[in-house]
Amino acid sequence: MLFNSYEFIFFFLPITLAVYFLLNKKRLTVASNTWLLFASLTFYSWWNVKYLPLILLSILFNYTIGCLLAEHDSLRKKIVSKRGIFIFGLVGNIIFLSYFKYMDFFIGNMNALFKTDLPLLQIVLPLGISFFTITQIAFLVDCYEGLVEDRKLLSYSLFVTFFPHLLAGPILHHKEMMPQFETVRNKVLNYKNLSHGLFLFFIGLFKKVIFADELSKTVKIGFDAAHSLNMVEAWTVSLSYTLQLYFDFSGYSDMAIAVGLLFNIVLPVNFNSPYKATNIIDFWKRWHISLTSFITTYLYSPIMRSFRKITFAKSMLATFIAMFIAGIWHGAGWTFILWGALHGAALVVNHLWKRRKLPMPRLVGWLLTFGFVNASFVLFRAKNLTDAAKVLKGMIGLNGILPATHPHFAFADLGHGQFWKLLMANIKGNDSILWTVIVIMTVTLTCQNSIQLEQKFKPSWKTLGFVVIVSFYALVNMNKVSEFLYFQF
Amino acid sequence: MDILAELTPIFQEVFDDDSIIVTRQSTANDIDAWDSLTHMNMVMAVEVRFKVRFALGELPALKNVGDLVDLVQKKLNKK
Repeated sequence: MLFNSYEFIFFFLPITLAVYFLLNKKRLTVASNTWLLFASLTFYSWWNVKYLPLILLSILFNYTIGCLLAEHDSLRKKIVSKRGIFIFGLVGNIIFLSYFKYMDFFIGNMNALFKTDLPLLQIVLPLGISFFTITQIAFLVDCYEGLVEDRKLLSYSLFVTFFPHLLAGPILHHKEMMPQFETVRNKVLNYKNLSHGLFLFFIGLFKKVIFADELSKTVKIGFDAAHSLNMVEAWTVSLSYTLQLYFDFSGYSDMAIAVGLLFNIVLPVNFNSPYKATNIIDFWKRWHISLTSFITTYLYSPIMRSFRKITFAKSMLATFIAMFIAGIWHGAGWTFILWGALHGAALVVNHLWKRRKLPMPRLVGWLLTFGFVNASFVLFRAKNLTDAAKVLKGMIGLNGILPATHPHFAFADLGHGQFWKLLMANIKGNDSILWTVIVIMTVTLTCQNSIQLEQKFKPSWKTLGFVVIVSFYALVNMNKVSEFLYFQF
Repeated sequence: MDILAELTPIFQEVFDDDSIIVTRQSTANDIDAWDSLTHMNMVMAVEVRFKVRFALGELPALKNVGDLVDLVQKKLNKK
């Protein structure tokens, strides 16, 4: 099920909320948490119930390993070492994820390398598998290190499947989450959380339906259909995607946080105006924040600890390796691997620059950072390296600036609609798609972000009017064609 | 044992600045040289000094030096 659907907003969410708090009112807290679990599994299965057994299998496997790890110290007879159990659990998760996500990529590369013709297995990726697998890997690490106290199966299952975060994060840490499901104060309907949650939800919905889905049209034609792109088209397309990805993902995160809030559960913030960052280190503190946190804690730190002596060079190696793995996690393709490597390299350059205390004016820093991020996202979206090259070549002007049929440019041309249609012929566009990019870009750089708005939110007639307009506009436009970017995760 | 007082020379050494004075409220924002690399150096130096070991999962929850002091105290109490 998707947040941006009528069945979720008018059916699933109100019913789930109502029954949850009703059961709580009657002090039936085990029943209410079980209801939440049932609702979350229904939410998951809505897309395809055939994949429900897979997530249940993953949960039971990790729960069992977690318990074995936690109880290992108190066993009298230790048949297998704690480390052995942990490695087994870790490898199990990696194999599980790799089979569904990377098998066809592996086969395809084998075919290319050894000139074989093995058929692809056409494995369908279970929804959210990348997310719920790494969430549980973090849990196993914590069990291994003795940090987990609450080991009830119900709490654990609810933590993994809680529907607001199930499909696309924010990536949760069990220590932040499990206590929230137990706290008595959270069992009572909270009108402040309700109003803040609804406010944030509709802003997120607006971001997804009005901004992201509108931009997706240009992106689809530019990346997937057009044969070549001239400079203006290429920049329009790449900026459209950079903005689409941000508004889609951050809008989705907003909705996730908002829905959590309705249940009095606080989910971590995932975005903090990343396109305002003036260096790449800062960018990663603002983009997919819960992922950066996971990468730092469970990839970077253990790599650093494995070195006997830490030096700056080793920390740069650790940074690069961590980002490289993060790239692979994002998708099964050379474009993603390259994307991760590029970001790893960019972070290293940034760290070196800081260490040498070299100057960097803020505006230059912003231009470099945003320019890099925008270009790297071309790799993120392109289906393969050829498509990526098509867009990138266009951006640096290798495919020309003016269309062949209009070789001489005069400034007066800018006023003629016909000129713009000609200029954007490859993407069947006109000047309005450029205006869309400019307007949305301006909003991104100048306005407060959704979380900042939510923190300042105070119910009043003015804010009610704002919410009514925003939600109405978003709801009415919701049934237009929409992409679900996370099917590949 | 005054953990906070014992942390001061560690911070001065790791962040290469003899003028650093740590309080419970000190965060990475207060000290220029405090980034992900020096953070790891600092954590490992604290482990060596107090003979404790931090779990990976305990690191992100440390929002300021006060949290660090409390965590070290908790581990020393367990010994």
